[in-house]
Amino acid sequence: MSHRIDYAKAADDALVRESQSGDMEAFEELVARHRDKIYGRAYTILRNEDDALDVSQEAWVKIWQRLAQFKGDSSFATWITRIAINLCLDHLRKQKRLQAESIEQMEDGLGGVERQLPTVMVNPTERLERRELRQRIDQALAQMTVEHRTALVLHEFEDLEYKEIAQRMGCSLGTVMSRLFYARRKLAVLLAGLKREEAR
Amino acid sequence: MIHPETALKVQACLDGELPPAEARRVAGWLDQDPELRLLGEELRGTKALLVGNEPEFSVPESREFYWSKIARELQPTSSLEMAPGPSRLGWWLRVAVPLGSTLVLAAVLLLRSGPGAFGSRYLATGHEIETPLEEMASITFRSESARMTVVWVDTSMN
Repeated sequence: MSHRIDYAKAADDALVRESQSGDMEAFEELVARHRDKIYGRAYTILRNEDDALDVSQEAWVKIWQRLAQFKGDSSFATWITRIAINLCLDHLRKQKRLQAESIEQMEDGLGGVERQLPTVMVNPTERLERRELRQRIDQALAQMTVEHRTALVLHEFEDLEYKEIAQRMGCSLGTVMSRLFYARRKLAVLLAGLKREEAR
Repeated sequence: MIHPETALKVQACLDGELPPAEARRVAGWLDQDPELRLLGEELRGTKALLVGNEPEFSVPESREFYWSKIARELQPTSSLEMAPGPSRLGWWLRVAVPLGSTLVLAAVLLLRSGPGAFGSRYLATGHEIETPLEEMASITFRSESARMTVVWVDTSMN
């Protein structure tokens, strides 16, 4: 019995089922719905528009190839984002941009400028539109090293635990903690700095 | 000055990564040490700031263009791994061609064996049976509508 579904109105679950049976139109609808999220995650980590486009499109090809493996244990959005993140990390490794920090670097991170700065209480939500706050967070993320930014993104936006971040980034638990600490302090300092600049 | 290990413990405590007993111990430090407490508040504030405020980005390409590049990559994959069933045209041709040939041959045999089979040159519009020389024992059947020519050679006469 032949059946047609209204792709634009169908829920993700239904589109996933259709895609799993080889329906490429259903898959195209899923791509259209989630492409910004996948591209956004890739861009947040890689900070390069062309790289983010390439990796996000590569992710969709992988997603199609692995659709049979998706059993619905997590949401479709979570599942595809994890695939995209793994590709981002592979991309960084190929470019040798993602490197395990040496002990000296770790100590620099913890004992360096950021640790010596006085603690800052950041409350930029005051008198700030959400869009503006997001822009500031983006500016601050752009100024971090790829290792610190990735650790922060995986922990804060993907809700991954230290152990899982360490596995994905190929580093020790201690390195994850160090990177997160450094990233948070840097973020606080940068946001406070941006606020001071605005006040002038 | 806060010791690096202590700072990381405070952070791990705020992230819920410490076992309960150790988390209680760190909470005790935060109660007693104002400097540690300030650091904890900063880390907590930064964490809270990020919740729901993730920067958003849009693909800088149209839906069609973005999809076309993905579809191009999927084409060989989909034909190999998620190949659909045989096309309807292929199925039709596989059935129709032998069936048609059989019917044509059957028609020729019927005409040959019937009364006056060779006496009539034209049977119907567009259908032609030609026997150039009877002793050659060959019959040519031509159907214009089917765009087909069948040559029947009778070897039993030799």
